[in-house]
Amino acid sequence: MSSVEDILAAENELTHLLGAQQAVVLSTRIRLARNLDGMPFPGWAKVPQRKEISDRCVEALDALPKFRRGHVLRMGELGDRDRAVLVERHLVSKELAAGKSGAAVISRDQTCSVMVNEEDHLRIQVVKAGWHLRGTWHIAEQLDDALGGSLKLAFSDRLGYLTACPTNVGTGLRASAMVHLPGLCLAGHMDKVSRALNQDGLAVRGWLGEGTEAAGNVFQISNQQTLGLSEEAILKHLGGWIKNVVEQEWNARRKLAQEEGEKFVDRLARSLGLLRSARLLTSSEAMNMLSHLRLACDMGCLPEERRHLVDRLMIEGQPAHVQARAGQELDSDGRDRRRAAVVREALKDFPEVVPPTA
Amino acid sequence: MSQPIKCSLCEEAATVHLSQVVHSKVTKVHLCEACAQKGGATDPAVFQLADALTTASPAPTLTCPKCGFTDIDFRKRGRLGCPSCWETFGDALGGLLLKVQHEASHVGRAPAGTLPAGQLRRRLDDARREMEKAIIGEDYEAAARLRDEIAGLEQQLAHS
Repeated sequence: MSSVEDILAAENELTHLLGAQQAVVLSTRIRLARNLDGMPFPGWAKVPQRKEISDRCVEALDALPKFRRGHVLRMGELGDRDRAVLVERHLVSKELAAGKSGAAVISRDQTCSVMVNEEDHLRIQVVKAGWHLRGTWHIAEQLDDALGGSLKLAFSDRLGYLTACPTNVGTGLRASAMVHLPGLCLAGHMDKVSRALNQDGLAVRGWLGEGTEAAGNVFQISNQQTLGLSEEAILKHLGGWIKNVVEQEWNARRKLAQEEGEKFVDRLARSLGLLRSARLLTSSEAMNMLSHLRLACDMGCLPEERRHLVDRLMIEGQPAHVQARAGQELDSDGRDRRRAAVVREALKDFPEVVPPTA
Repeated sequence: MSQPIKCSLCEEAATVHLSQVVHSKVTKVHLCEACAQKGGATDPAVFQLADALTTASPAPTLTCPKCGFTDIDFRKRGRLGCPSCWETFGDALGGLLLKVQHEASHVGRAPAGTLPAGQLRRRLDDARREMEKAIIGEDYEAAARLRDEIAGLEQQLAHS
């Protein structure tokens, strides 16, 4: 079994763990950019230097208890589909997957993944299902300390952690929440919310990060500034806004449910009906319908304990996942057919949508 | 027919024209398709880089002694060559840093081991400034206390 197949088959908290999922916030993510002292950044390093960087970083990571029985994946050794699966799972970035000299070291439970030779030598990432800013940060902090113990990291008293791009220098910290905002989208308030966040130094992106569309009403909200603010201040700022956005989302949902009444329930019920009987399902259609199902679980229109299944389908309905599951390359129609079959099977014993209780 | 506008970063014809308002000043940038893509013109945080770069001079004036990276390379890539580049281009990047980060110096964590030295040095700078202020304000008691603290800090730094 290849490591990527292993990752696909393993149960992890984003797709399987019952009870880890929460309404509105799908996941919390911490990313730290770090570099080795005295080595050119990956984009400027020569091939042998990149090899040396990769070897040193992978060796240091592999020795950490956190990555025991984990995965070491070298991009140059993986096929296109495997790399696409890793991108869809947010375990590596599109940029890392596109190059040959990058590697990823991933913990067994898939909560920690460190990208080696992306834009920086090291990109430490920790992801937890639901909203757990402090807990996620502490794991990242421990990993950072452990790595700093075995590798000499590029750091300056004045500028902090030195990175390839000026947008990351200082703390190298990007903290983010993946949020599901169907209420604000349906109410037409998302532009306004997005603008307010931008004005206060937070970036709003789509499901797969930079330059992607917000399929399924899922957005990634993250800090922009990394210099001149302590980690504590960055987390507090993001945390305050997420709390605010979650509240606004609930207000929008309640208002919609109240004002629309039967229409609201009808919309959710139709999505379930469509997903349960479609023979061809595109990825964006699936995402948008699954978004309604997630909303239904949050609002008590479907049992809450089904929510993790909806989250799993959102992840596993993506193109590379569908093909990996089928064990073969599929054309667009083939993928849509296969996706529809997977979704139909997963939802076949779902109960009917009932009026909201939340 | 008038000359097509050239890309601010290379010689190609510019097809992407952007205006950005930074601190109530309007800046216009013209980019070709490829540079706009590469420079992330759709991402406001990254895009400000391209904006700042258009004012740089065309011939390399700075080269990193450690890795050979020049200011022209930075113009093309928007990324630096190695950690030492931060020293080489530090002053030149000052304005850009303020634009993208709104701040010029780090106040967060440090790798284990370097934290005490960094903190000591910062405290030392502060104490020296405070002592000068105390002397000017003729608060000799405070000045004497700060003088002792400075001596202690200098000793700790020498041993760290």
